[in-house]
Order: sequence, then C-alpha cells, then structure tokens
Amino acid sequence: MSIPWTEKYRPRLVREIVGNRQAIQQFLEWIRGWEKGGPASKAVILAGPPGVGKTSLVLAYAHEYSWDLVEINASDERSGERLRELLGASVSQATLTGTRKRIILVDEVDGIAGKEASGGVAVLTSLIKASRVPMVLVANDPWDARLAPLRQIAPIIKFNRVRRDEIFRHLKMISDRERIGSDEKVLREIADRAEGDLRGAINDLQLLASAMENPALLLPYLGERDREKTSFDVLAGVFGAKTASDGRLLTMNTDMDMDQVITWVYDNLFKQFQKPEALAEAMKIVAEADLHLARMKRFQMWGLTRYVAPLVGAGPGIIKSLRGEKGGGFEFPSKIRFMQQTRDLRGRVAEALSKIASKSRMSRSKAATEMLPYVAEMIRGGDRGVAAHYGLSQEEVQAIETVFKTVATMPKTPHATARGGKSAATPPRGRTRARRRSP
Amino acid sequence: MALQETIPWIEKYRPRILDEIIDQEAVVNSLKTIVLTKSVPHMLFAGPPGVGKTATAHAFAAQLFGPRYIEDGYFLEINASDERGIDVIREKVKGFARTVPMGGVGFKILLLDEADQLTSDAQHAFRRVMEQFSATCRFILAANYANRIIEPIQSRCAVFRFKPIGLEHIEEAVKRIVSREALKVSSQAVKALFEVTEGDLRRCINMLQTASTYSRDISEALVYQVAGIAWGGEVRRLMVLAIGGRLEEARQQLRTILHVNGASERELIAQMYREIFYLNLPEERRLSLISLLGEVDFRLSQGATPELQLMMFLTHLYSSAQAGK
Repeated sequence: MSIPWTEKYRPRLVREIVGNRQAIQQFLEWIRGWEKGGPASKAVILAGPPGVGKTSLVLAYAHEYSWDLVEINASDERSGERLRELLGASVSQATLTGTRKRIILVDEVDGIAGKEASGGVAVLTSLIKASRVPMVLVANDPWDARLAPLRQIAPIIKFNRVRRDEIFRHLKMISDRERIGSDEKVLREIADRAEGDLRGAINDLQLLASAMENPALLLPYLGERDREKTSFDVLAGVFGAKTASDGRLLTMNTDMDMDQVITWVYDNLFKQFQKPEALAEAMKIVAEADLHLARMKRFQMWGLTRYVAPLVGAGPGIIKSLRGEKGGGFEFPSKIRFMQQTRDLRGRVAEALSKIASKSRMSRSKAATEMLPYVAEMIRGGDRGVAAHYGLSQEEVQAIETVFKTVATMPKTPHATARGGKSAATPPRGRTRARRRSP
Repeated sequence: MALQETIPWIEKYRPRILDEIIDQEAVVNSLKTIVLTKSVPHMLFAGPPGVGKTATAHAFAAQLFGPRYIEDGYFLEINASDERGIDVIREKVKGFARTVPMGGVGFKILLLDEADQLTSDAQHAFRRVMEQFSATCRFILAANYANRIIEPIQSRCAVFRFKPIGLEHIEEAVKRIVSREALKVSSQAVKALFEVTEGDLRRCINMLQTASTYSRDISEALVYQVAGIAWGGEVRRLMVLAIGGRLEEARQQLRTILHVNGASERELIAQMYREIFYLNLPEERRLSLISLLGEVDFRLSQGATPELQLMMFLTHLYSSAQAGK
C-alpha cells in the first residue's frame, strides 16, 4: 500500500467535497467576508462526526484560492502555553509576502478541553480575539461544556454524516480509477457499514483491494470501526434501542456524562413520537432517569448512578418500537441555543425585577409573578411613567416588552363576552374556556 | 425632559398605619394593644398572598418607632427567597441586631418575609439566630402557611392569622381608589375582580391599575381581559399549548417563564395546580394529573431538573386530553 487513498483522493477543489452542501456554503460565506475585509466573526467551528470532510474543506479552500495554511492539531499540544507559542505569531503578523492570505486551522479542538488545567481553551479564546486572520476550529463534539467560551465567539457550522449513496458513488469513482473492478454489492456494503464516515469507507476499500483480488471474500472479516460515540451516535443508539441491555452498553461507550445524555435525549424526544401516549410514556421514563440522577447527587448515593443508563439509554427506543413509532431527526439541544440567545434579555429582566421587587417589598421571584405581568401591560398600554418610577433603563423596558410580546397579548375575545355576560355565579378564570370547548 | 412618574397604586395606596389595614380586625386590634404595652413578642404572620402581612409589619413598626423607623435603623426587612442561604441571612441579622438601639423601646424589629421559602434545615438554623439575638431584636416572620414553619419556631412566636379579604372590603378599597383616580367601575366588575383574585387585594389593585390604562370606565369584560394577561394567564397558555399538542411551543413558553421571567418553579407548579381544575379533561385523568403534579413537585425538591420534569407532566396533560376525545 503506497500512498493512502484518503490522501490521494483528498479533494483539491471545494466543489470536489462530497456532501454537506449547506455547511460548505456557510463556510464560503464566512471566508468571503474575510476576502472583502468585513468578516462576521474571527473564527468558526466546523462541527460534525469524523470523516465527513471538515478538515478537507479547509485544505481544499486554501489550495484552490492559494491561501497560506497554518495547521495545528490541538490534541497534540499539551498546554495553552504551547498553543500560544505555535500560533501567537501567526495570528498577529501579516503574511511575509504581503500578498498571500493566511488561514489558521486548529484541528481536534475538543481534544484540548480534556486536558486538565492546561488553559488551552482560554489561550485559544484570547488568540481568536486578537487574531487578524481567519481561524477555523474543527471539532467532533463542540457542545462540551468546557468549550463554552469558544462557542460564544465562534459560530458553529454543522456537518452531517455523508449520505450512503454519496459514499457509494465516491467509492465507485475510486475503484474505477484504481481499476480494481469490485462489484457494486461490495461497494454498497462498505458504504452501509461506514455510517456516514467517508474517510473510513475509503480506508476500508483500500484495505480490501490491497489484500485480495476479490475484495468480497475479505469483507466479512473486516472489523467495524470502533469510533468514539458522539452525541449524535448516542441519540441514534438510544432511539434505536430494543432492550434494557442496549441502553446500559450504549452509555458505556461514550464520553458524555449522564447529565448530558439526559439533556440530549430529552431535548430530542418530541420529534421522535407522533402518538401522545407513546410520547408521555417515553417522557416518563426519561424523567425517572433524571430523578435517580438527582437523588444520587442530593444524597451522595453514588450507587444510584447505575439506574440512570438503562432508563435513559433504552427507554425511549423500547417505547418507540413497541408503539410502532418511526422517524424523527436529531438536533443539538435547543436549550443551549435558547440560553445563548436570551442571555442579554435574561440579564435585563433580572435587573428590572430587582428594582421592582425592592419598591414593592417582595422577593424577585414574587415580583416576577405578582408585578411584572402588570408592569409589562401598563408599559404596553403606553404608561412610561411606571418605568420611570421603578428607575428602569431603556434597555430594561425593551427587554420587558420583548418578553411579554411573545407570551401575552390582550385576548381579543374576553371571557366575559364568551359567557354572554352572565353576572350571577361568575365562574373563576379559565372555566369558561373549558366549558366552551366541552361538547 | 423629565418623565412624569406613575406611582404604582399598590405603593400609592399602601396602608401607613394599622387602622388603614383592611379587613384584618382581629390582628390589628391585638397589635394595637401590643403597641400600647410595648411588650413585643416574636410574631408569625400567616396568610394568603396580598392580604397585608408585609404592610402590617411595616405599619406596626411605624407606630412603635415613629415614621422614621427604617432610616433610624429600628427595622430591617429580609426576604427569605432572595437570599442565597441561611448563612447570608445570619450575617445580615448579626449586622443589624448587634447594636442596641438608642432610647425608645430597647429593641429592633426584623421582618423575615416569605419565611416558608426556607428549607426546614435552614429554619432550624434560623431558630438559633432568633435565640441568639432575642435580647436586642424581635422577629416577625411572614409566611403563606403556618404549617410550613417548623414547630420550634411556631412555639416561640405569637401566631397571627391573616384571612383572604372579603367582598365588601374589596368593594370598599376599590371604591376609595376609584374616587381618587376618577374612574368608573361597575359593581359586576368589582365582583369579577374579587373572584379572579380570590381576595388578594394586591392583585386586585394591580389589575385595576392595568385596566385603567385601557379605559377609565372599567367593565366586567375588561377585568377578565386583564386577568388573561396576568401570571395565571401565562401559565394557562402554557397548558393550553400542551393540550393542543404544540409541545415545542409549550417548551419555549416554559423556558421563558422559568429562565427569563424569573418566576420560581414553586409558583409555577402552584399555578398549574390551580389551573388543572378548569381544563377540559376526563375526570379520572384529572385526578391522575393532580397526583403526577404532586410527584413532580416532590421531585424538584430532590433536585430533579425542573424543565424536564414539567415537560413530562405536560406530555401527560397532552395525552390525557387526547384520551378524552
């Protein structure tokens, strides 16, 4: 085996990259911002499972458009100090020739997060902030809590697994060029086993071709790639689980801790079920897993951990197959996005609440329920004087308006009208609604 | 341009003296006697929200120490649910009660509001604080339920029970505001206010002021409209979204309530409990849901994840509502 086919057939041009058109488009838009001198961000994170073309995209772009490329692998570099040494000059200095542009590629960023006390994330964050050239971070799982500072300054571009048919076509192209004449069934089998990992598929093909005249004979002996399970692998496993053991085993092969598994599974649960009963059943099991974990922490009964994995790891899958539920995609937890998007908003509402609470002689949480809805409605009704009384800033007023714009608007049909203005035995709020809907 | 301030009516019409406290005659009479004798016990004010517990404590202190009771350092209010732990509270009490006040009655008063938000462990620690400083400080604890205060504290306190405010007293209070603010309010509207607030005068006044920003002439219909925007309205919308199977939207609403609005999980659960009775559900399912909500309530006290547990409840609400169709 001379040169690895993964190198030999590595795309030289951006359009040669297989799959992930949307992610590529996002990347191009970002890098073109740099070409025009007004980038949307200093850095981006290319995130996705292994072997789907994240690094290849950066290499192909640099090659095609003649950019200088500085490439380091974060998990090779043990300390933040070393990172600064390697990259410090590259991020701050203009290129030597002055004409060629430079891009910095930091591969396996999730690798630095694992290193204790290395300060790697902090150094990388400050390098990005200071950088005068585009930086591309590559990660399998960018949702690691320790990478949070990076997520705040570098938008995530999500790569998906490469589709089976795309892998197949690519393998076919390679086997034609290599004249190995393997039959299509074998290529399809390799593509199936690859589970979206194009690099893995190419490696398998080369191994088979080098070993035998006829790769089909060796195929059964080819081991499955033991790749580290990413969050998405775990989700696929959870919702495909058939037995309690499946759940237990699944969670052993991942770096995710149980908190994360529960967060991911819970967040993705709703798209997986069509039938209300099935959803409620699955949700109940996941909530029990959450309870066991909470008790484990609360009472420091570490032994309780063992009950979590089978419940969260297999519960949803078992219910899914039992109730004949099919389909449903996976996404990054929307909670993380929600918290990121509402960070400023939350801060301002909290500040406003403190001011309202102290004037109203009550706790902030009580002010949230007893005062804020009315204050919001008064402000909406045009009464700015109430904001002045509490000393609310313009930003805080806007934050309140934003929150209550979505959650509360004066109902067009008041309860009383629907009730026909009956005055005796006026029902408490809500009952009317129920009554109207009853047959 | 200086903006004209609008003083919220709950502040503008806040009682300043004990005689202005509405419909708590038994409590007020006892407190007036205490003011005369100046022999002040530790006290526990127990009763539903919005009936005047905090206001009574302030009015009592004002009558005992004079109108500068706060500025002169005789009175401190601490809100149990704002403080991060019993240690913070202890430090605050220590700072306040360390010194004996000059002249006057020889002690200070500390109001611990929302005292039932303290865990029972924290309450036991607080009891020791009470003992430590009882020479220089009298404690008033305010709580919604006396039975959520541990017995050793209850036994050290004179317990004053505040009751929900009756219809005629709500009418009276509303009438007073109406004439000062030049509003018109129909008697049906006042009844509606009373019913939707269940005798919570603070809510009543807040709703009245909110309604007045829409119209000077407040009808029963307008009262119900305003009830829809209040806290209960937000929670009802959450539950209605779930019943309709719009769970992603319900989740968004739940996140907003929990993380942006700053409401406590406990308040949210309490409100969900009130709403369950009015939702369109088969009765036997309603009972299971009530039980399930109790389970969620307890789980949260054990540290389970609020959003996840509450969504679990909402998926059951959804499937129960579907079962009724």
